[in-house]
Amino acid sequence: MNPAMNKNPLLNPNVAAERHFSLSRRHFLRGLGACLALPAFESLNPLGVLAAPAKAAAKTPVRMAFIYVPNGIIPSTWWPSTDSSAPLEITPTLQPLEKLRNQVQLISGLEDLSANAGPDGGGDHARAGGTFLTGVRIKKTAGSDIYGGVSIDQVVARQIGHLTRFSSLELICEAVRKAGDCDSGYACAYEYNLSWSSPTQPVSPEPNPRLVFERLFGVGSRSERVENLKRRQKEQHSLLDFVMEDAAAVERKLNGRDRQKLDQYLTSVREIEQRIEKAERMPVANPQVDAPAGIPPSFEEHIQLMNDMLLLAFQTDSTRVATLLYAREGNNRPFPEVGLTQGHHDLTHHRDIPDTIDKVKEIDQWYVKQLSKLLEKMEQTKDVDGRSLLDNSMIVYGSGNADGNRHTHTNLPILLAGKGGGALRPGRFVKANQTPLTNLFLTMADQMGAKGIEKHGDSTGRFNEV
Amino acid sequence: MNCQAKSQKQRAVNVSSMGSHVMTLLAITVFVPALQAAELPAAAHFRKDIEPLLTKYCADCHADGEKKGEVSFDTFKSDSDLVGDHDLWLKVVKNLHAGLMPPAKKTVRPTAEEMRKIGAWVKYDSFGLDPKNPDPGRVTVRRLNRVEYRNTIRDLMGVDFNTDVEFPPDDSGYGFDNIGDVLTLSPMLLEKYLAAAKVVVTEAVPAVGKVMPERTIAGGHFRGGESPQDQGRGNQNQLGGAKGFSYYDPTNVFTIFSADHDGTYRLTMTLAPKGNFNFDPGRCKVVFKVDDREVFAKEFGWDEGKAQPFDFEQKWTKGEHRLTFELQPLTPKEKYVNGIEMRIVSVAVRGPMDQKYWSTPRNYERFFPKPVPARLAARRTYARQLLADFTQKAFRRPVDEKHIARLEKLAESVFTQPGKSFEAGIAHAMIAVLASPQFLFRLEEPEKGSAGKMYANVDEYSLASRLSYFLWSTMPDEELFQLAEHRELRKNLAAQVKRMLADPRSEQMVQNFTGQWLQTRDVEAMTINANVVLARDSGTEDELASQRRRFQNQFLNRPFNNATNRLGATNLVAQINGTNAPALALTNAPGRGNFAGRGRDNLNNFNRRRERDKPTVQLDKELKQAMQKETEMFVSNVVHEDRPVTELIESDYTYLNEKLAFAYALTNLDITGTEMRKVTLPPDSPRGGVLTDGSVLVVTSNPDRTSPVKRGLFVLSNFMGTPAPPPPANVPALSAAENDIKDHKPTLREALALHREAPLCASCHNRMDPIGLGMENFNALGMYREKERNQVIETPGKLITGESFNGVRELKHILATSHKMDFYRCLSEKLLTYSLGRGLEYYDLETVDQIVNRLDEADGRFSALLTGIIESAPFQKQRNKATPVAEAPRQPQKASPSKAVAQNQSQP
Repeated sequence: MNPAMNKNPLLNPNVAAERHFSLSRRHFLRGLGACLALPAFESLNPLGVLAAPAKAAAKTPVRMAFIYVPNGIIPSTWWPSTDSSAPLEITPTLQPLEKLRNQVQLISGLEDLSANAGPDGGGDHARAGGTFLTGVRIKKTAGSDIYGGVSIDQVVARQIGHLTRFSSLELICEAVRKAGDCDSGYACAYEYNLSWSSPTQPVSPEPNPRLVFERLFGVGSRSERVENLKRRQKEQHSLLDFVMEDAAAVERKLNGRDRQKLDQYLTSVREIEQRIEKAERMPVANPQVDAPAGIPPSFEEHIQLMNDMLLLAFQTDSTRVATLLYAREGNNRPFPEVGLTQGHHDLTHHRDIPDTIDKVKEIDQWYVKQLSKLLEKMEQTKDVDGRSLLDNSMIVYGSGNADGNRHTHTNLPILLAGKGGGALRPGRFVKANQTPLTNLFLTMADQMGAKGIEKHGDSTGRFNEV
Repeated sequence: MNCQAKSQKQRAVNVSSMGSHVMTLLAITVFVPALQAAELPAAAHFRKDIEPLLTKYCADCHADGEKKGEVSFDTFKSDSDLVGDHDLWLKVVKNLHAGLMPPAKKTVRPTAEEMRKIGAWVKYDSFGLDPKNPDPGRVTVRRLNRVEYRNTIRDLMGVDFNTDVEFPPDDSGYGFDNIGDVLTLSPMLLEKYLAAAKVVVTEAVPAVGKVMPERTIAGGHFRGGESPQDQGRGNQNQLGGAKGFSYYDPTNVFTIFSADHDGTYRLTMTLAPKGNFNFDPGRCKVVFKVDDREVFAKEFGWDEGKAQPFDFEQKWTKGEHRLTFELQPLTPKEKYVNGIEMRIVSVAVRGPMDQKYWSTPRNYERFFPKPVPARLAARRTYARQLLADFTQKAFRRPVDEKHIARLEKLAESVFTQPGKSFEAGIAHAMIAVLASPQFLFRLEEPEKGSAGKMYANVDEYSLASRLSYFLWSTMPDEELFQLAEHRELRKNLAAQVKRMLADPRSEQMVQNFTGQWLQTRDVEAMTINANVVLARDSGTEDELASQRRRFQNQFLNRPFNNATNRLGATNLVAQINGTNAPALALTNAPGRGNFAGRGRDNLNNFNRRRERDKPTVQLDKELKQAMQKETEMFVSNVVHEDRPVTELIESDYTYLNEKLAFAYALTNLDITGTEMRKVTLPPDSPRGGVLTDGSVLVVTSNPDRTSPVKRGLFVLSNFMGTPAPPPPANVPALSAAENDIKDHKPTLREALALHREAPLCASCHNRMDPIGLGMENFNALGMYREKERNQVIETPGKLITGESFNGVRELKHILATSHKMDFYRCLSEKLLTYSLGRGLEYYDLETVDQIVNRLDEADGRFSALLTGIIESAPFQKQRNKATPVAEAPRQPQKASPSKAVAQNQSQP
């Protein structure tokens, strides 16, 4: 890590104004991506915009994110060797989290039984991804009639989304999206979407960090982007009124499935209108960094940029709910990052060959390292109440497959990072006993301030031991 | 019924409530009618003509308590169950057609006439289809997908908007991304459509009627007095771009600008230092002169390489003016470093500023064919006329007055504002048009006057769109639109299809259909490790592995390397270094950053070696593009030259450039350069036909080796229409079996043979593996090879339908001859699905049969397939909206838990 980075002008808004021209896109990559331990983001709130909504609400907001990694893990190096709950034993795979030992808890015994084969046969990858946040079995189809459940992030966003400019944020680090049948007769939609706003409507995640940034903060240079965003919203308002009438007129002539398609259109129009109305009431933060250039060729940089987008969104209180797929379930990319030429998925079916198992362990650890970089930045970012952003967050990291070799969905590898505004007690190894993963989600939903959710998917209660 | 998706669905067969009680086929006839008031005619026909055939050929396995594959023909609860089990009967027909049933080992087989009888009963009795008036089915309203949106915007607006970057990928169903049911619209996407509409209109539509003339002189136009280094560089191709001059060489260059009129001109010079430095690389002074008068002088450093514009105004007379750029070095010689340059990006000259010389901007006439009237009433009329023309093009059909009036109001709300132009108002309304559902969705109407009919022709505007999006992936052009307007398109259908095929836009169908049917689109994202693949072929995997371990142990921090590896690597490094001690010292201190001293030497050596040993063929961008192009050009040839479609399987030609020819080891055909061209193959070549195209061979491989299973499945799914079902849950691991081979590394053939010994795997892998193994002479990079792991690759095989072959040539020949009809059917189903934008259903069986027959009668000529599709009921017609719900297809029971809900939703 370059010590010069600590003198980053971002630290001081006055300095930043003077020197901001020197921060090229490359600097964005270097500054936010490749380097860690940057106490830089404090200054991303140069106008103090975050303080306003935070003061209005009595309490500092809690944020919640779900980060997905594919193909399960090698259990032997993931789980602690002892039963003791504290301090958390840092296992080989979790090594990158050493410094954050007191901010993470490892939870065993959580399961996603909706991902089991049941009568549907093969397709454990599609099921693992497609049920992870819903706890609802998915319909086996590669055609038009995909059907799953509503994901917990969307359930929570529906209740608290009105408090921020964006009710939720969906991100993915897969540049190319495959279509059609991705796993044994399951549609690709199940693997590429973690968030579902209805059983038939996945919320597609955005792969391009530039587009995420522009959506959050506007298009253009630093000085003009907020203006651009506001102007665009104003223009959109009059257009939306117009097309709304248009769509309503067309819809009256249609029936059945056609009508559903127009319904999607009308619903989208209403949702954007609401967002614009909200945005007119809420100030827009303008982080003093340049927008990223697009999807970088390096996978690691891609992940780090998406980490940064997540961080920026939370820090500026643009949203409090997010999902991020480091890769889609079943991903089979080779890992030149750790010198591996075979695909990740292929490797996880390791045939008990020790060398192959070792390779998967390296991938497992590599992904944890990507997470650690996000968490470290969150830990070093001060929130409005003086605590760290990580203190006020709940970050779930995990996979819907436990042992990727055998496609098991019990004892899932689940990490929970952050203190959730003080409600959580990280730094421990927590043992659940054959508990639905959705029970944990309900507890998190409570912390987010969502009310009256008695059940989510296959939940059987709350998991309050976290 | 779609040859991929449908047959993979699981079917729950009604199990008789009579449990294990054995019922003969005869028993149904006696038993069932007793429960019913009257026998269904279809059931009566079944008992008379069909049941005896099933008893003769199928009863061994599917009756009398036998129910192989969960199929039994004597356990229906009632006549209506028997007649109404569309899923089962569709499967029966498919399996009969494909020769999968009865199994090859059965010698007693139904005759062609008997098969026809069964097929006819299924179609006309069970499905109730009318061959004279087939059910067109219903297609859900289609949103433009990314490709269609881009093409449509290009044709409508003259702007290329890169939807690959700006829009999320579309979901696909039944193998294609233009399926109405699957193309959803989310708030995020609508937001993107709104933003895109704004961007497109801003770029395409001029916001004012007159602009000051502007000419831009690229930096490359500055010449003369060049520094010695620059002379003779042949800067021809730099003419259009920026031009750079070293900070360390004095420079004096000029260009001539010819002013058309007397007047005031405004010049904007854009300069940008070039290089990348973490330190100060020096400074220079730039002087800019107009007609030898200094107008600008400034010192520059590196300045982070930022481009900076500088403005100056000049009063010019009509005629030539000399613009001179001078650079004076300010850096002491000893501080020279390589690579810093000052680039003249461009000099923009705007003027004269007097409005009488202003002209209409680029593209103005395209959107505003007449001058803008002065009075408001006339402006309104003009606005309505402009918007009516534009909107009916954008919506691809006539638009009612009311809609135009609303649009005009929207435009007026802008152009009556102070400071806003008429053009800006029209542009604003155009944004609304591009964001409208009538632009984004393809809305169709039945032909007027078809109200009472069950199935109605779609109107000619809808037909024009169906044609243009099928053949061109874009909106109808003026000619199609005109014909539709005069209701003459149907009359001229054949001529129009011919015209459309001859148009270069028809390459869109080739690319988009081929890209998804043969998955050539996926080539781009494939990563295949050439080192590993080639080492496997040449039997040098061990050497490669040890090389890699050595590298990793030395230079990468690999926490999970087990002890044996590390020891092995240590020894290897020791051997290479010729000494033990230093090598040990190195490997004892692994990890990043340990590059000092010998460590760095080793890395350099390693990199040098790696450079030297770089594989001769690598799946890089150019090779991928050539592969993709090869397949596309091949399909294009079959389409445009109206060749028999079986050439797609077996042919004596292909398309190559130098790079691809080298990869294919066809180096004696004198193919040079990057351009792809048609090549006649040597008589004994294993190539020819798309199955042995690099694209297909690569997308059916793993990152490090071939996958005969994937290749087999690919052929079954995309050429024979009989995909194997997905693997069952809890597949036993391959490891146990493979570990039984101790004396050598097993070849894939050996490993798969062991795999097929498991009965659970055998039934499907007996279908897939022989095909894939027959293609094993091609490695994962698509290169021909004779050996793998030091063993000669053997390629004999036998299809599940009984035909034996040796090698890929014979395999292809069998597919193109004995299985010709299967291929016709599969291809017809694929192209029909693509053309309709919906998955095929049981009621499409009659349509597909008709198309396949036409194709067969025309000896497989592509034109027969195309016209068969375009003239078919589903392409020409739609179910009338008044058609009662009962006409909707009866949904068979499914095993899937959420089906009930989904089904309810799909009912109108």
